[in-house]
Order: sequence, then structure tokens, then C-alpha cells
Amino acid sequence: MIRFFKYLIRISSFLGKELTEIFRQPKLILTLVLGPFLIMLLFGVAYPDQTRTLKTTFVATDPVSFQKEMDAFAQSYTSIIFDYSIESDKEKALAKLALNQTDLVIVVPDVSFETIENNQQAEFLVYHNEVDPFQVGYIQSIARIYVDEVNRQVLKSATAQGQTDSGALQTNLKTAIIKTQTLRQSIPAGDVKTATQAADLEKDLTGLDEKLTTFRSLTPGVLVSPFTAKVFGLFGDPLTVTIFFVPAVLALLLQHVSITFASLSIVREAHSGIMELFKVAPITAFETLVGKYLSYLFFEIILAGVITALAVWVLKIPILGNLLDYALAVFALLFTSLGFGFLISLVSETDTQAVQYSMLLLLASIFFSGFFMDLRLMRESITVLAWSLPATYGIRMLQDIMLRGSSIPQLVFLGIITIGIMLFLIDWVLLRKRMES
Amino acid sequence: MKNNDFAGNVVETQDLTKTFGEDVAVQSLNMQVPRGTIFGFVGPSGCGKTTTVRLLTGFYEPTSGSLSVLGKTPTSFLKSDREKIGYLIQQFVLYPQLTVWENLNFAASFYGVGVFRRRHLNKLLDFVELTGDKHKLARDLSGGMKRRLSLAATLVHKPELLFLDEPTAGIDPILRRKFWDYFKELQAEGHSLFITTQYVGEAAFCDLVGVMYGGRLLMIETPDGLRRKAYGGDLVGIRTNEDLRHEHRQQLENLPFVHGKVKIVSDQEIEVIVEDASTAVSLLLEWCQTQQLTVAMLEKKSPSFDDVFIRIIEMEIKND
Repeated sequence: MIRFFKYLIRISSFLGKELTEIFRQPKLILTLVLGPFLIMLLFGVAYPDQTRTLKTTFVATDPVSFQKEMDAFAQSYTSIIFDYSIESDKEKALAKLALNQTDLVIVVPDVSFETIENNQQAEFLVYHNEVDPFQVGYIQSIARIYVDEVNRQVLKSATAQGQTDSGALQTNLKTAIIKTQTLRQSIPAGDVKTATQAADLEKDLTGLDEKLTTFRSLTPGVLVSPFTAKVFGLFGDPLTVTIFFVPAVLALLLQHVSITFASLSIVREAHSGIMELFKVAPITAFETLVGKYLSYLFFEIILAGVITALAVWVLKIPILGNLLDYALAVFALLFTSLGFGFLISLVSETDTQAVQYSMLLLLASIFFSGFFMDLRLMRESITVLAWSLPATYGIRMLQDIMLRGSSIPQLVFLGIITIGIMLFLIDWVLLRKRMES
Repeated sequence: MKNNDFAGNVVETQDLTKTFGEDVAVQSLNMQVPRGTIFGFVGPSGCGKTTTVRLLTGFYEPTSGSLSVLGKTPTSFLKSDREKIGYLIQQFVLYPQLTVWENLNFAASFYGVGVFRRRHLNKLLDFVELTGDKHKLARDLSGGMKRRLSLAATLVHKPELLFLDEPTAGIDPILRRKFWDYFKELQAEGHSLFITTQYVGEAAFCDLVGVMYGGRLLMIETPDGLRRKAYGGDLVGIRTNEDLRHEHRQQLENLPFVHGKVKIVSDQEIEVIVEDASTAVSLLLEWCQTQQLTVAMLEKKSPSFDDVFIRIIEMEIKND
């Protein structure tokens, strides 16, 4: 019994010490609580859920007539092309693009209709000044949308023209039907064959007239684009960018805070020389490690609670799932991240090295955890790396619980806990080795 | 203090050797430290004192030889064995962000001291005279205060045997003296102390002194015995009112109880090494009278330990 009490007392030494050291730094706590919250808040303000609008310069040989067409077009696409100008000089437009005075230059083919009549496609040339592959992709989509729209407009006006032209045709058709009826009535009663032919002709003309009526009654827009699509998510309305990213930001921040704290912990003690005292004192590596885990877990759970509360009440981020599931997910994330942190601390020689390793892990997490690139886009072989990072599991669990309202994904939870336990064992062996060597 | 369940020497080593690659840090160390003594381990910087302490605390495994501390081999100490040992590391290793009280509390928990320890810790703070500074952060303490805090932290679990590695290094002479007063008090309470120091003068406060040089233990003696060994006997100073001439010195060197050469301090003062000062003083007085010399001073001299130490090292170099 006494032994057990002594065991608890020895573990508590680190609990008290680590917490006192942390709470002695109010600025650090303020940064840890307010920092992530402010980042999330600023993120929401910085990305107001709208697509990028592009300043566009059109190059057309007849700017005056093109202006009218563009005014009509821009009205439908204000979200994409809000600010456009028309130039007649392509080189001048490209110079503007090089100076970033415009985002896009579209050279309109000046012989488009003649080209079409010659059974050839007319080509719009689209120029941009982007190096970011995501932005290049965006511009390509915009160019496609623009050309599709131009095609649609051309078809629409051609269809409208056709409908107008078909008015005269239908009048002629109606006259032809009347004439056919008159002709049929004048056929002698015994000439069955001719009478049948006339009746067939009349029927065909009437059918044609009906089809023409239908064609003329449809709006050109429907005729050109008879189908549209409506998208529905199983989990309600689409989320804003901010809401979607908050669980990921939370997971990444909690991982980083845990790793940073833990990674500096043992390396700093080794550097100060107190490890020499640990080695000769009656404390074991297991007691030391458990004490450290408990102290950091205690503090970080409070930290996670405060940040979550701020996110929910101030930023109005929902937690659609069960709060207990959320707490379990956060615990698993913190536990495993601490394991990584202590591992870094045990293999690092200096504080600087530990900080560098932590930063590398953060960088790896940003790129490979699915933080901003969907894991489904990743090569299968690289996903092993992704699934060795606590943030990958954290993001998946928090997104599922907070945004989908699902319960904790069991396999993911099992995965992160397994990694956490393995890391604890590795850390224990390494610390024991260090305390015994 | 922990129950004393081991009655023999608190430290015993037999040909204890520690090497780091090609470097021999400690070579064939043989020593016994009796229970309840203050054992001073004296030697210049880098002579192997800290390595020896680290071997004795189980921090290092010996390359060869054997050792026992409180009857056990340090590298196979159990928790219960470690609880009987206190270790003061050379540098300040406690936490600068914690207060004096918090650091002491940490050390107490760390050694598994029960939760009802407030009185004991306060007593310790009194002992090292830090009661008034208990709420000060360790980083704000002076060097001497940090040493005192470290000492208090070493004592939290009432260890039977204390290893203090250069506890007085880098602190002023007044505080150094105070530390030795603490050590004497601890000895009086029944603790055994193994203290390393490079201030050879501190050997005077020890019951036994081990002199370390170049990884070798040159001798273990009482402070007086150390002086005698260094000089080959007792040192006696003679001052007369008349000048001491060459013939006088020759005669003195020929006396059977005088060893070696006579050292000239001035024209009228010399120092001689005798076998035993208690008998030699009266014989020397007699000799002065026969030589019709008026004695102004004739007494046993206690050379400083700095001189003793230098002499021992010189002898060692000569023997090599």
C-alpha cells in the first residue's frame, strides 16, 4: 500500500511541476487560448465564402458592338467577371496582364461566324499570369464556362432566329394544309388511291405543323440547354469554407501544441542536468513518463475545451455529434500527439533540434493530413505516411463528429489509439535507456 | 533519516576503474568510508572526483573492479536503496520557473515523501536559511541561495548517505564556511557525507580526506595525517633573536629526530620536520640553549592544506 502511495506521489511530482511551470506563464496561456481562436476568427473574415472575381480584358476588333454583347453577358456572370474592359490592341492588353493590372485577357475571334459557316471551330485565346496550379485550374474552368456560355448565347440567338423564321414557314404550312384539304375534297369518289395519298399528305403536313408549333412555343434557353443539375448533400446545406476548416484547424493546432510542449520537455531536462538526478533517484522511467503525460493531458484538455467553447459560442461552429465522442476524439489526438512529442524529445540532442523536428511534423501534417488536399487525391502508397500522423485521424474524427453529426469513426479511433499506445511504449523504452545509460 | 540497516562501511571500493574509450578517468580506486564520517574527496578539476561520485551513485557502470555502497552494488540498487541516498549535483539543476517552495515540494514528491511533509520542508528551509525566500522564483536566487536550495532538495527524503559533488564551488568564503557548518550538523544527526571539493583547504573540516590526482587516489588520511604524510613528520618553526648560521642548520639536520633539510624562512627563523612535535619541541629548546640561542618562538606549525596538497602532488610526480 505504501509502495502504491509512493508511486502516486512520484507521478504527482511531474503533474504539479509541469502545470505550475505552464500556469506561471500567463502570456503563453493567453497565446495558446486566444491564438487559435483568433486564427479561426481571422480565417472566417479573410475568406468570405465567395469565388474569386477576375478582372478581365477582352480584345475585340470591333469594341463598340462587342460592348453590347458583353454587358448582357456580364450581367449573368457578375460573380466571375465583375470588372471588364475591352481593348482592340492585344499587345496592350497583354502588357496590362504582365503588370497585374488585369487578371485575364480573352482574345475574341473576329471571324467567328464566318469560321462556323465554314464548318470550323472559332477559337478564343485566354491569357493569364498565374503560377499557382490551383489558380491556373480555376482560370481554365472560368475559360470553359465563358466559352460554354458564348456557345450557348450563339445557339440561343440562332434558335430564336429559327423560331422567328419558322413563323412564316408555319403560315405557308397552314396554307398548304388548307390547299391539301381542298385538293382531297375535289378527288372523284372512285379514285381511292389518290384520295388516300392526299389524306396521308394532309396528315404529314398537320403533324409538321404541330411540331413547328411546339418548337415555336419553347423558349430558346430551354431548347439550347434542356437539362440543368441541382446538387443535394446528405448532411444538409453546403458548409461555408470557415466552418469546414475549423475542425481541421483545431486538430492541427492541438497536435502542434502537444508536440511542442512534449518535445521540449525531456530534452530541456537532459540539457539542464536534472536527468542525472532522475537516474540516481528512486523514480522510474515509467513514473516519469506517466507523470508527464498526465500533466500535459490535463492542461491540454482544458485548453481544447476553452478553444472549442469559443469556436462554438463565438464563431458559431456546430458540433452536430455527441459531445462524449468529441471528447474521446480530442483525448486520442492529444495522447498520440504527446507520444510523438516525447519521441522527438528523446531523440533530439538540443532544444533547437526538437523545435525543428516539431516544425517538420507540422509541415508534414499540413500537406499530408488532408488539411487542405483531400486524401482521396493522394497516391495510395503515400497514404501510409498520411495515416501515421495524428492530425489525419484528428481531422477525420472532428469533421465527422462536428460537421456530419456522426459518432466517432471506430476504425479511425482504434488506429490513432494504437499509434498512441505504441508511441508510449517506445518512449518508455527510450527514456528507460536514457535513465539507465 | 532512514533506518540504518547497514552497519559496515558506507562506501567500499576495490580496484575500481572507469575508462571512457582510451581515457582512464578513475584508476584502481581502493577506499573505505566508515559510517557517520565526513569524507572529503579532494583534487584538482578533472582529476576524476565527479566520475567517482557517479560510479558510487550508480550513474556510471564501472569498467572493472568492484564497489559497494550501503552494502549494495549501485548499478543494481533497488528503489529502497536509492531512497537512502542523497545526491547533490555540481550544477544547479532545479527548475528556474518554480519558487523555492515549489522546487522543494517537487523534490519531495520525486523521492516519494508523504503528503504530510510541510513541517519537514519548513524545517529544511530553516536549516538552509531560505525561509524568507520560499516564494522567490529559483531563477531570481543568487548562486549561493541556489546551492542552499539544492542542498535542501538533497535532504528532503532524509537520506542516510549524502554524495555532495563540489557543494561549495563558486561561492564566497563566508558561505562556504556556513556550508561546512551545515555538513557538521548533518553529521551530528547521523548522516554520512561524501563530499568532493577542489578547495583543498576544506580538507580541514573532514574526518577523512582522499586525495585524488590524475584519476588515482593518492592517499586517504585524516587532515593531520595528510600533513604528516606530506612533510614526512611534524613541522616545527624556530625563531631566535640571534642569526641562525650555516653551522646551526647543519647541526640541526644531524639531530636524530629531525628529518630532511632545514628550511630557511629568514636569517633568524627556520622550519624543521620532526618525527613527533610533542617530544621534539622540548628537545629543540634544549638544543637552542646549548647553542646559546635566545628562543623568540618555537612551536608546531600547521601548514596550509594548499601547501600540503602541492607537496603531495609534487611527491607523486617525483615518484612517477
